Parts: sequence; C-alpha cells; structure tokens
Amino acid sequence: MKMEDMPLSGPDNTKLEALVHDIYSELVEDACLGLCFEVHRAVKQGYFFLDETDQESMKEFEIVDQPGVDIFGQVYNQWKNKECECPNCKRLIAASRFAPHLEKCLGMGRNSSRIANRRLASNNNNSKSESDQEDNDDLNDNDWSYGAEKKAKKRKSDKNQNSPRRSKSLKHKNGDLGKSIISEPYKYNYNTGISYESLGPDEVRSLLTTQCGVISEHTKKMCTRSQRCPQHTDEQRRAVRVFLLGPSAPSLPDADPVVESDSFDIPEGQTLMNHPQWEDSPDISPTDSASSKASTNHSDSRKLKKKKRMTLNLNSGVGAAAAAVVGGGGGIGGVGCLASGSSTSGGSSQSSISLPSKKKRPKLSAASISSTYHDLN
Amino acid sequence: MSKDSQMRAAINQKLIEMGERERLKELLRAKLVECGWKDQLKAHCKDVIREKGLEHVTVEDLVTEVTPKGRALVPDSVKKELLTRIRAFLAQHATL
Repeated sequence: MKMEDMPLSGPDNTKLEALVHDIYSELVEDACLGLCFEVHRAVKQGYFFLDETDQESMKEFEIVDQPGVDIFGQVYNQWKNKECECPNCKRLIAASRFAPHLEKCLGMGRNSSRIANRRLASNNNNSKSESDQEDNDDLNDNDWSYGAEKKAKKRKSDKNQNSPRRSKSLKHKNGDLGKSIISEPYKYNYNTGISYESLGPDEVRSLLTTQCGVISEHTKKMCTRSQRCPQHTDEQRRAVRVFLLGPSAPSLPDADPVVESDSFDIPEGQTLMNHPQWEDSPDISPTDSASSKASTNHSDSRKLKKKKRMTLNLNSGVGAAAAAVVGGGGGIGGVGCLASGSSTSGGSSQSSISLPSKKKRPKLSAASISSTYHDLN
Repeated sequence: MSKDSQMRAAINQKLIEMGERERLKELLRAKLVECGWKDQLKAHCKDVIREKGLEHVTVEDLVTEVTPKGRALVPDSVKKELLTRIRAFLAQHATL
C-alpha cells in the first residue's frame, strides 16, 4: 500500500490508514459474528450435524477421483462403442445411431413418411426425364403414368408461363392428384415474381388479365397475386397496364369473384359445349392426348385452361382414355372460351355464359364420351 | 485526540448514512463465501463444538474461539480489495 496515493498530507495519512484498517477490522468481525450466530442457532436447533451420518454411509458416497470415471464412479461412454443388431435388416448399428436407424428401417416415425413422399415425387419427375426407365413399379399404373406425363408436359410449359394460377387451381383438386400437390409447390416457390422485361407483349397481356401485375419497386418484378390482391390498389394495376401495354390497354377484368375462383374450371368446360367445335377442329384430333399438346402450342394462355380442364375431368371419375378425349375436346373449348374472352374483354361475359349452362355439363360430357367410345371401338 | 475521535465518528456516521457500510459488509460476505473461508471456519466450529460438547456450547465460546482464527484466515486479495474501497470512500467524502 503506497502512501503517495493519498492526496492528504503526512501525519493525517497515518491516522487515515489507521482509520481504514479499523473500519476493515470491524467489518471482518461482523462477518465472524454472523457466522457464530448461525452456527450456534444450528447447534441449538439440532440441524448442525445433519449432513454427517455414520462413517459407513459417508464412505459410500465419497467423491470419486479416478480417470475414466465421473465423480459418482460411473463410466462416461460405456454405451458408445457397443453395437446392436437391427431386428429388421440384421445389420450391426452403433448404439447412438440405433434409434434413428430403426425409424427409417421400420418406416415409422415422423420423418420417414415425409422422406418417402418426397422420394416418390422426385422419382415420378425423374422417370419422365429419364424416358423409358421402368424402375418404379408405382408408375406402371395407368393413372399415375398419365399424371406423370401431364406433369412433364406442364413442366415444360411452366418455364414459359409463370402463373400462380396453375398452382392455385391445383390446390382445389383433391384425391387423384395428391402427388401434383407435392411436386407443384416446388414450382410455385420459384415463381415469386416475373420480370416484365423478359416477356413478349402477348404474354404480358395474358398475364395482366389474370394477375395483379403491379411492378414492385425493389425487385422490378410483377406481382403474381390475383387481381384483387390486397397489397396493390386498382390504380396501381391500371398504371402498370398503361405502362406495359400502352394507353389503349384493355381495361382490367374486374368484378365477379366467380371468375377467379375454382369455379373457373366449370365455365371452361361448359363453354366447350356451348361453342361449336368448328373453331379449331381441323387442328385437333380428339382421340389423341397429343391433341392437348397441339392446342397448347397455339397460345400460351391456353395452357392455363388446358391443365385445369384436365384435372377437372379426372375428378369427375372418367377413365384415362375418356379423360384424354374430353381433354382434347376441352382444349377446343378453351380456345373458344378465350376467343370470347378477348373479344368481349370481360370475365363477366364468360361467367354469364357459364352459369346458366352449369347443369348441362355432365350430361353433355356423358354423351360425348359414349360417342367417342363407339369411335374407339 | 477528540478531534480524531470526532472525525472518526463523523466518518462512521457518513458510512452508515450513505449505505456504504452495508454494501461493504455484503461485499465482504460474498467474497468470503466464494473463497471458502466460511466453510473452513465452519469446520473449525465443528471441532470446537465436539470438544465442548453439543449441549453446552454458548455463543461466547464460539466467538472467542472463532474470531481470531477468522481474522487470520481472510485471504489477502479480499483484504486488499476491501481496504481499497474504504480508502476510496474516505478520499471522496472525508472533510479534513
């Protein structure tokens, strides 16, 4: 302790130091006294010696200080090097990996079903890209292979058409196309936005009739949400259309929500019956599923309708062949539908056509199916 | 000398009034527990009690046995720190 640190003069320093020491001693004595009181009370209350029992028990629980063993005397990684034989696959698995291995091996547990589904989906996609491989017996079933075929075709068309409508309509299908719901979300995730610079005028027009299309300032991409998306106002949508298509742009197809919901499927299918098949019949042979391909080559937007029609037909429980037929016919109907759409510039017109004739649809389709069956036979 | 004692009294009073004494006490207790001083002294107490017999132990006995040992057992680091703090307090608040 250096006296020079003190700012005060000589004789006072020693006194001050003495004072400091005195204060310190007092504090220490207080602490000792506190301890004594505590101990004395414990003695008198009888709990002072409570932590001591007889010598024998004391020895039992003594702290162990050997190498390779913890303080309780237990070996740490006793089970680490042990191997167990899996009852399922008869392999020797390390003990710490045994539980996860059993999960996968027996096909139980949360992750295994997820992985199995994913594997099935990717196998379906792969089987189309790897053409004639019949590795997966699952795909030998006609329905599934048909579904995989359609999905492959759709995937090619997907690259050109970044429309959320595809996945939107998929969500409404249930049952038969369970797989499509799994694989489709992959595509949906990619299409978070479209850059308007990469699209031609036709594509832009068709996009704008179905999507919000407002261009985000941050990403310069078009909004892919519906016409009524809450993030953007109608003013913004109008401005974007003017910007992209010029002042003479068609007005926003607005109003009926019916237009944009899944009931869109039904109007499409019905208009096929309403509009005579003279429009594109030379181009399309109804018995060929390739007819759908032909119809899709005509315009991009038709692909939208085509896919929906396909799925709708499957849902009505018609067999694969019949589905192809009606799908082919549906391609035609889609054309007619669009023709009316572009000329009258209103989904309202479509819906007005479709609604009254909703009930006619099943009977008409049955009639066409039976006729084409005759043709096939 | 009375000035001295006056000064002492004044300083002590200030210590208590400003709550510094309590803080120093708590600090010392915590440090003593940390460094194991308390356990050492408790073990010593056990010996004393076993010596004197459980029934007849009095506070005075304990105090006379324990205090000198306690004072001696305080580790240097703890002592130094406390002295520093007391000195700092005096430097700040002592009026001479």
